Amino acid sequence: MLAIMSRIPYVVLPLLIALPLGAQSGKKKNPAIGNPAAIEAGRTLYMGGCAGCHGQGGQGGRGPNLKGRGMWHSLDDEGLFKTIQKGVPGADMPPSNLSEDQLWQLVAFVRSINAPAVEQKIAGNPQAGEAVFAKAGCANCHQIRGRGGLTGPDLSNIGGTQTAEDIRENISDPAADWNESYRKVVAVGRDGRKVEGILRNRNNYSMQIQDAAGRIHLIAIGDLKEYSLDRRSPMPNDYKTRLSRQEMDDLVAYLSRQSMRPPETDSEKGSN
Amino acid sequence: MRITAFLLIATGLTAAAQVRHEDILKGPGNDWLTYAGGFDGKRHSPLTQISTANVGSLTPKWVFHVPKANGLRTHPLVHDGVMYVTASNTVFALDATTGRQIWVWRDTRAKKEGVNRGVALLGDRVFFSTADVHLVALDRRTGNLLWQKKYGDIEKGLFASAAPLAVKDRVLAGVAGSDTGMRGYVAAFSASTGEELWRTYTIPGRGEPGSETWSKELLDWGGAGTWLSGTYDPELNLLYWTTGNAWPDFYGGNRVGDNLYTSSLIALDLETGKMKWYFQFTPHDVHDWDAQSWPVLVDMPWNGRPRKLVFHANRNGFWYVLDRTTGEFLRATKLVDKLDWATGVDAKGRPILVPGKDPTPAGNVVCPGVRGATNWMSPSYNPVTGWFYIMTVEQCDIFTSSAKEPEPMKGFSGGGAGKNPKTPGYFVLRAFDPKTGERKWEYPMTGPMEAWPGTLSTAGGVIFSADDEGNLVALHARTGQALWHFNMGETIATAPITYSVRGKQYVAIASATAVFSFGLFEPAKPLAQPAVKIIE
Repeated sequence: MLAIMSRIPYVVLPLLIALPLGAQSGKKKNPAIGNPAAIEAGRTLYMGGCAGCHGQGGQGGRGPNLKGRGMWHSLDDEGLFKTIQKGVPGADMPPSNLSEDQLWQLVAFVRSINAPAVEQKIAGNPQAGEAVFAKAGCANCHQIRGRGGLTGPDLSNIGGTQTAEDIRENISDPAADWNESYRKVVAVGRDGRKVEGILRNRNNYSMQIQDAAGRIHLIAIGDLKEYSLDRRSPMPNDYKTRLSRQEMDDLVAYLSRQSMRPPETDSEKGSN
Repeated sequence: MRITAFLLIATGLTAAAQVRHEDILKGPGNDWLTYAGGFDGKRHSPLTQISTANVGSLTPKWVFHVPKANGLRTHPLVHDGVMYVTASNTVFALDATTGRQIWVWRDTRAKKEGVNRGVALLGDRVFFSTADVHLVALDRRTGNLLWQKKYGDIEKGLFASAAPLAVKDRVLAGVAGSDTGMRGYVAAFSASTGEELWRTYTIPGRGEPGSETWSKELLDWGGAGTWLSGTYDPELNLLYWTTGNAWPDFYGGNRVGDNLYTSSLIALDLETGKMKWYFQFTPHDVHDWDAQSWPVLVDMPWNGRPRKLVFHANRNGFWYVLDRTTGEFLRATKLVDKLDWATGVDAKGRPILVPGKDPTPAGNVVCPGVRGATNWMSPSYNPVTGWFYIMTVEQCDIFTSSAKEPEPMKGFSGGGAGKNPKTPGYFVLRAFDPKTGERKWEYPMTGPMEAWPGTLSTAGGVIFSADDEGNLVALHARTGQALWHFNMGETIATAPITYSVRGKQYVAIASATAVFSFGLFEPAKPLAQPAVKIIE
């Protein structure tokens, strides 16, 4: 097919093939992975021995960030286990004296802070969460599979791209997100005509606005008399108090299931 | 003037901004709505603002660096001033006048990474394939996910790299993987729901016509990938799709026969997927000469009467003219001088083989090389000159074979091919007159033999392409004279497009890691800053 591949079949192709197959090795997950009790036990161990370098939330510090996608994507569970067990020679990370069970609890905790929500076990009820989603008015701004408003970020794949913890934080404290995108903007042309919508991008020379109907407006800054940008999140900031703890759990559970791809199961992996 | 333009843009994107089938049918204009510009695959734009008279003052207007990209093969589409480009499992929507990102969509959980050739547009939707063979529909305006459909298994040796093709109410998609064993197919999906409407395999099932051209054990793994999308004739309601090599690529002892429908052009009914005809360019291919090059649909007189033709420049060293209604072979012309595996083709288009040109365990020098005399480097047809423009490769390679028992998906291709130090090869952009097959001009290029550049024809009389040194080049359509070039600094593995926004014509192409857009030089004017109010 592709000549560039065909010319080096003996060397490159086995490597190319090995990558996807290696990622589907058919190994059974350790029972600690995704187990809430093991995760909690792992959290305790983490706070006692790891957080000093890797940060309380895994955000990194003296040691690497454990929440970054690159970290969980490049290491499978066993790789993580061995890294914790043996440490990183030549770096500051020491080997561990923990038992195998405790090491797996730590792996379960690290996985819990960086695996996408759809891969995590979530406490709430997704069906009940769907009702909360409707009642709370989320669909006024957010779409799931093409249904809902256009002024907020799409949630169709939120469970596949964010951790449950991040989803919960985004609902509870939307102001913590300082990304300018999806913020309200009003641009006025030099003849007084106005475009209102949400900001998609801007710099000193151009601006891209999406209006409430979803239309994209491409604007040269030099064509504008003025514009205003409300950097405050348009998302209500009271869900933390407006929703009960159970409702919040259910909503997080519902959103965690919104994924382009279903969670991977052992049967999906390594079937041949 | 600029404020007027702004207001037109600001108020012009209404429901009429939907990409309709009829819009794609009209072919390229201000927009570039499908991979080959139009359903006929001519890659010819009627835009004339950039012409032979002024192309010398073309300058870069913007560059969009694609994060983490390497070896981009994306082919931009443009609609209403918005450009859509892809990288592995990723789609970007860009402001086509500035290169600024409007939205990005990533499939972070795809089970495979790989090259991607671009999107299809229809209605308010963008369609593209992930490397692990999911067809994805996004809202064109927002990048919101509407549906996705898995249509193949990487566990069966498949992956996806082609840009889908949107026609009427459906989206066509293909699969890749012929080099390590798989069974190719073209599939049609409802654009609105993702429902699979039909699937046509490019290797027959057991007992089906054509299966007698195979050893039974390879029917499930014989290749014939469909990794480049096709063209479409609305009057005949036929799709024209090309197929990839037979597997194992370089050893045919386990697959005695012609190995239908590998290395072929197939005509499929859009409604049903039924194969109306096929034409196999390289029966029993053992040189990895996929037929992936655009079938270009041209209506012109042939032997004194109007005919619906399809032109196809093939990796095996010939370019073909067929009747696209019936598949009848009309003529084959040598694309390149370095061609030694066949002396020509017979009256039915079957190659007349030179004995002893199969790969051998010790290695056998054969021309063209494994890259082919051309490849997916899109050709173009200019209706003004009436000529066919093809990026060709003069190269011979050393082909080796292995009679080892084929094992699918184990990286085994039955041998290999490597550069012959005595014939390192070079690119030549050539213009052919389809009426006679005569070469009208040629433009040889220097370089390391790493590029895969296609062509673009324009009514301004300029042929755009890229050379093997990372230059975007502009040549005179009638003479082949070099009019302009720009060093993009990276290998180019895709083809240029052209579009117009607010009355200004642009030419865009991807390099290995970035998307570039060019336009005519305009001196910058002092910027009048607006009053800006930030509410925090």
